[in-house]
Amino acid sequence: MTKTAVVIGAGLAGIQVAQQLTDLGIVVHLIEKESIIGGLSTHLGRVFPTGDCALCLDASTEIFDGQHRRCQYRGLVTEKKNLKLHTLTEIKSISEVDGNFKISIKSQPRHVDLDRCVVCLECIEVCDVNTPDEYGIRGGTRKAIFRPIPQGVPLAPLIDMEHCTKCGKCVDICKVNAIDLEEKESTKTIKADALILATGVEEKVPLDFPGYEYRTSEDIITHAELARLLDPAGSTNGEVTTSSGNTVSEVTMVLCVGSRDLDAAEYCSQACCTYSLKHADMLRDLGIDVTICYMDLRVPKSSEHYLTLAREKGVKFLRGKPDSVIIRNGKPMTIVEDTQSQKRMQIESDLVVLASPLSPLADQNDALAEFIGEYGFISRVAKEGRVYACGTATGPTDIPTSIAEANAIALQVYTDLEGGV
Amino acid sequence: MSKPRTYTYFPGCMIPYRLPHFELTAREVLKKFNVELETHSEHSCCPEPTTFTGVDFEAWVTIAARNVAVSESTGNETVALCSGCFHTLAVANHMVQEDEELKKRINKRLKKSGLEITGKHTIKNILHVLHKDIGLDVIKKQVTNPLTSLKIAPHYGCHLVRPLEATHMDHAENPQWMDDVIRTTGAEIAEIEDKMACCGAPIMPSGEDKALTITASRLDQIKASGADAIVVVCPTCYTQLETQQAKVADKFETEYNIPVLYLGELLAFSMGMTDIVTANQRRFHRVKLGALLEKIGGTP
Amino acid sequence: MVKQETMLDLEFRSWLLEQPEGETLLRCYQCGRCTSACPVAEIEPSFNPRLFLQKILIGDKSIAENQLVWNCLTCEQCEVRCPEHVKIPHILILAKVRGLMAGNVPLAALDRARTIISEGRSLSVSSPMLKTRTKMGLPDLGTPSMDQIVAMLADIGIVGKLENVKSVYGDAEDE
Repeated sequence: MTKTAVVIGAGLAGIQVAQQLTDLGIVVHLIEKESIIGGLSTHLGRVFPTGDCALCLDASTEIFDGQHRRCQYRGLVTEKKNLKLHTLTEIKSISEVDGNFKISIKSQPRHVDLDRCVVCLECIEVCDVNTPDEYGIRGGTRKAIFRPIPQGVPLAPLIDMEHCTKCGKCVDICKVNAIDLEEKESTKTIKADALILATGVEEKVPLDFPGYEYRTSEDIITHAELARLLDPAGSTNGEVTTSSGNTVSEVTMVLCVGSRDLDAAEYCSQACCTYSLKHADMLRDLGIDVTICYMDLRVPKSSEHYLTLAREKGVKFLRGKPDSVIIRNGKPMTIVEDTQSQKRMQIESDLVVLASPLSPLADQNDALAEFIGEYGFISRVAKEGRVYACGTATGPTDIPTSIAEANAIALQVYTDLEGGV
Repeated sequence: MSKPRTYTYFPGCMIPYRLPHFELTAREVLKKFNVELETHSEHSCCPEPTTFTGVDFEAWVTIAARNVAVSESTGNETVALCSGCFHTLAVANHMVQEDEELKKRINKRLKKSGLEITGKHTIKNILHVLHKDIGLDVIKKQVTNPLTSLKIAPHYGCHLVRPLEATHMDHAENPQWMDDVIRTTGAEIAEIEDKMACCGAPIMPSGEDKALTITASRLDQIKASGADAIVVVCPTCYTQLETQQAKVADKFETEYNIPVLYLGELLAFSMGMTDIVTANQRRFHRVKLGALLEKIGGTP
Repeated sequence: MVKQETMLDLEFRSWLLEQPEGETLLRCYQCGRCTSACPVAEIEPSFNPRLFLQKILIGDKSIAENQLVWNCLTCEQCEVRCPEHVKIPHILILAKVRGLMAGNVPLAALDRARTIISEGRSLSVSSPMLKTRTKMGLPDLGTPSMDQIVAMLADIGIVGKLENVKSVYGDAEDE
């Protein structure tokens, strides 16, 4: 009999494990709470180890051979017969009956029928509403009927009913009758043999990290925000500007802002050193000076070239954890001891970028509470032969490690469900 | 009237013998809330936490524990008006709580005087009493002369607040309790940069220049806030910001003229007891209170 | 090769780790946030709490005799900001204690300690002040039993130490 697995979270690890399992003949329901798949990667622009567009890192056996990649944008997640993608969907409850899971899910309406929409996007053009763009920075806006990012999968737009005025213009212009302003939320129960948690992480917003005036200044930003500034398809067209629209010539980066800290996240977030280096390299290519304040650099071997490159490109390294990042004379100032020269420095720059911890998303859903372990992360095998986890749900890490772990878990699930030697 | 609530008052040295107007106004204000402060003759110097600790820490923690043990024998909670005393008693009490070895060692020494420290005694400062035990609503009811014309800079000082695990205050960097109590008098709170900055006093014995530089920076921050007066709880902060104010102004060739009030004095103003402050102002206030008194409608 | 003085240094470190809250030193990973948070370091570049911790960690006992440790305000700003909750001011206090017999104690601190041990107060109580208290209607506070306090401290030996210590600080530093 065909086995069924439910994968929670369609970030890179979730997509990977789902594709692998469908390829092995298992029916997979892939549950995603956002309107598009890709998770954190949709915010990142270019990613390591190759510096390609994050969306290229879709599940593919050729993923790291440097030859051919399938793009998420042109991928198979929406095409495979035994892979059912549920976007805008959350887990309401999980129960176990006779060795099977009953998973009840609730989907928010998209108001655009995925089977009918031909992605002509005329609806977006006629929409009169302008509202802040969640993916934008420095004042980017979007319509009430919109696509979060152009490459987002599914490709069809969705309607944000909080801002929609129900003027009906989009309904009128749609030639395939795909838009339904009255669509309601729906619930469903799925029976499954295995459950895979790929709930991932989010970058914690350092609103109240003591000494750092992130809350009050738009010139003190996180790496996710810098990625939006650097994205050529983003609201600034890849131009790195200050909050007042000026060109940036000096950037200071601070590592471990709330990681390895008894008052914040006690763990190391693993990926921040590397993405700080990646961003430093990109900024240097734009002619921007970069200083990185670090405690120690934790770069995995597969990404060490970023460190070499950063050194070659003249990124300045300062060993010390700043006590404060404050605004002086309208510009961010970083106060830090250079522990090598033993000098207390006050570094003025146009932008300060904080490496904030990657914090687990699984503990935001009560239905998953029983599987949560230390710091909100989950063991790879959360329940023997039944419940698994992969990707950053098991702990913060970089994309290559996430994908490798997803592959390993796919094989484990397959072996447990289908037997084997 | 119901039976008064009684605390064991730990006097220390600075308040009773240098700045007794602190004790006077605290007692008078607390009387309004039917609170009595009882003394015990066996209380010695706490000992003070800024220099004696570095001379002999073991002796410091032992004498401090003895003072806590004396308090414990009274059966009442302890209130220390001085922040240094409060810090010493609270920290020693906390250390004894956390460290069984230390507790054993100290109790062996205390046994000679028939005393014992359990680590369970409650040590409070004036803000615990006003904010927690009495309550803002009750305080507000006694405010007969609202000080709405005043803008006050609350200077908490380090030892009143830190370390939190021993002081049980509300926040190590952004405490609010004194702000809340000051607001009950009708006064406005001045926004000071660096709310918890140190007054500089602890290093007067080892580096007066540096101490006064830090004091100047604190006074600059407060001056910039446009405050009519600084309000303190700690007598050492008072000495530094009030008694030394003219010296700091001379040294850095500037002018401050910012009156400094003990929290009890401000409350006394608001409760119609201006007299108990003005009676002693010449002796204990070097910065003249005249303009301040005029502003609140008292006699200059 | 282990030299004699290295062993002596480790003795200082071991002693410190055995004191109440002394073992928090081992959590220090030398990030330097303490030094950038410190209001004294801001005006005195040679005052570097991170460096002091590093020295103690590697077994350098010179810090105990360094007059700089007495520049610590004990404001605890470093401790509040320390990501590992290292009890930095307390560790510097322990260093001061170890420097006492070498005379690393400001005169005013020594005088104050002597007054406390002999009179039970940090300052001498004058009779005019007692009169002022009476005039203000404040109660007599009495005096603690000094003989009991001194007896209690016998095993610590503080009385003898205070008799023998000579401060290396000049009178100019005295308040």
